[in-house]
Amino acid sequence: MNRIAVRTSCVCKGFGEGESRTEVLKEVNFEAQMGELLMLVGPSGCGKTTLLSVIAGTLGVDRGEVEVFDSPLHRLQTKEVTQFRASNIGFIFQQYNLIPTLNCIENVSVPLRIQGATAADAEDKAAAMLETVGLGKRIRHRPNMLSGGQQQRVAIARALVHDPKLIICDEPTAALDSENGARVMEILRGVAARPDRCVIIVTHDNRIFRYADRMTHMEDGRIHHTDNPETGAMERQ
Amino acid sequence: MNDLALKMLLGDRAKYIMLVSGLTFASLLMTEQAAIFCGIMQWSGSTLDNVGAPIWVVDPMVEQVNDTEALRDTDLHRVRSVEGVAWAAPFYQGVLRTRMRDGSFKFVQLVGIDAATFAGAPAEVVEGDLNQLRLPNTVILDEYGAQKLSRDPARPIAVGDSFEINDHEARVVGICRTRMSFSGNPYVFTTYDQALQYAPGTRKMLSCVLVGAAEGKEPAAVARRIGQATGLKAYTRDEFFWLTVWWFIENTGIPVAFGATVLLGFVVGLAISSQTFYSFVLENLRNLGALKAMGASDRVLARMVMLQTLTVGLIGYGCGVGLASLFGMVVLRKGMPPFFLPWQLPLLTLGAVLFICWMAASLGIRKIRQLEPAVVFRG
Ligand SMILES: Nc1ncnc2c1ncn2[C@@H]1O[C@H](COP(=O)(O)OP(=O)(O)OP(=O)(O)O)[C@@H](O)[C@H]1O
Ligand SMILES: [Mg+2]
Repeated sequence: MNRIAVRTSCVCKGFGEGESRTEVLKEVNFEAQMGELLMLVGPSGCGKTTLLSVIAGTLGVDRGEVEVFDSPLHRLQTKEVTQFRASNIGFIFQQYNLIPTLNCIENVSVPLRIQGATAADAEDKAAAMLETVGLGKRIRHRPNMLSGGQQQRVAIARALVHDPKLIICDEPTAALDSENGARVMEILRGVAARPDRCVIIVTHDNRIFRYADRMTHMEDGRIHHTDNPETGAMERQ
Repeated sequence: MNDLALKMLLGDRAKYIMLVSGLTFASLLMTEQAAIFCGIMQWSGSTLDNVGAPIWVVDPMVEQVNDTEALRDTDLHRVRSVEGVAWAAPFYQGVLRTRMRDGSFKFVQLVGIDAATFAGAPAEVVEGDLNQLRLPNTVILDEYGAQKLSRDPARPIAVGDSFEINDHEARVVGICRTRMSFSGNPYVFTTYDQALQYAPGTRKMLSCVLVGAAEGKEPAAVARRIGQATGLKAYTRDEFFWLTVWWFIENTGIPVAFGATVLLGFVVGLAISSQTFYSFVLENLRNLGALKAMGASDRVLARMVMLQTLTVGLIGYGCGVGLASLFGMVVLRKGMPPFFLPWQLPLLTLGAVLFICWMAASLGIRKIRQLEPAVVFRG
């Protein structure tokens, strides 16, 4: 019953020209399924963020194919990819990237506003989502009045408010202590992970590995293997 | 998204105030300096406003209204005989020295008008009676002169007082309202014949012939015909005014001085605003990148940036032009320095401010275009 949410085939991506060129992704074949929370792990510099950017459609590929929910991102125009991101992907960043001059509810309503919702509609949904992540009492606070953990929860609310099918997180707990990190992961597990959704998390943080359905290990621009912490099953490439 | 763009802008108080004050300063400086320039230019042609005549006939050597090169008395008759001329009156103007009862000296702009027709008489006599000018040794003084020629500031010269022009008695029979002359000398009106008495004797005294066009005739056409028929130069009031203004623009440092200040306002406004706005965009680059990643198109972001610059631009413009008008109201009450704000000036300032906004916005928009949404994942 598992359906493929994301698939990359032979994706290559390098940076720079001539002498200084480095190949970061080397024929990456990656797969993530609907309904799972998948962690992408590996040593620093192995290309995790680059792969995540490719999947999210914020970075184009040099070669290979990227399919997200059957949309071939590698063949779409920039404008179409932008639209695709707006309606299908929720983002959570290590640095939260909340807009400091907007309050929580305004920050959370941004993805809906990008899709053309009115301020009133967007803020209704944003308020409900903030309630869900346990910040119902802080909707008029500015980000700088919140702790790191709270800010990341606002960011989670923002990533979920437009009900996207793919949630992309890059090191969501790296800037948080273990207690707040656990809280964020509980929310991601409990609210974000759903049968009709796929959550992909890049992380170094072994304290949160236990929340993963599957872990994909990367090394030097390639997928090394994927394993399932619960069953212990391992798929090599 | 537009309301969010405004909130982002207003949320950064320091930058917002900096932007608005930069643009206020620029609009104020540009409008106010240009208005003073226009005021000075208007002063240069004051005689044309104070002496109302549709057509002015002068010697071909005369380059502007404050120039005097005397005509021959016969020229008056030659002008009169040109077809389309309804009336032609002699006119004298010159700068003369007056002596007050207490022995002090002042210079005045003496204007001699035709006693029979009173062509060129002051439009606004606020005290006294114009007709008494037909009596010997009488003058009408402007309000500024009434103040300036009086030794006692609390008691300006009034109707009935007298002073001397070149040792001839001048009895004040009226006070009139005039526009200040470029040289700052008060206007003293008298009859043409009386003026000849006051002026130091030279053979030719006719500064100018004032002409009215016959009914139904275009003043410009009549002026051209007078020029052809007599070999003299004939200008309509407007032609003579612009000739004078251009003469001052070409022959004095005034436009350069004011132009430099206006340019300074523009450049400073441009520099402050573009610089501040650009750093506003740079500081927000991560957040703009996040918006871009979340699916905001370049067009939406460009519109937000445009809206932000336009907002500070229009607020700054409003404050600047408002302050300039306030300044104008104060100085107009004082009479110094000259100030004239034609409707084109605020429009030009608006154009300059919009240009500044456009420059500032395009710097930011270019940066946003080049921004890879993937930057948001970098630490
Ligand atoms: N825009 C870029 N220009 C040049 N080089 C880049 C760019 N983005 C990534 N790289 C290089 O690609 C390699 C992989 O980077 P990436 O950020 O994907 O690694 P990572 O696995 O996410 O590392 P970390 O765990 O430290 O975040 C690095 O060597 C990096 O220097
Ligand atoms: Mg990384």
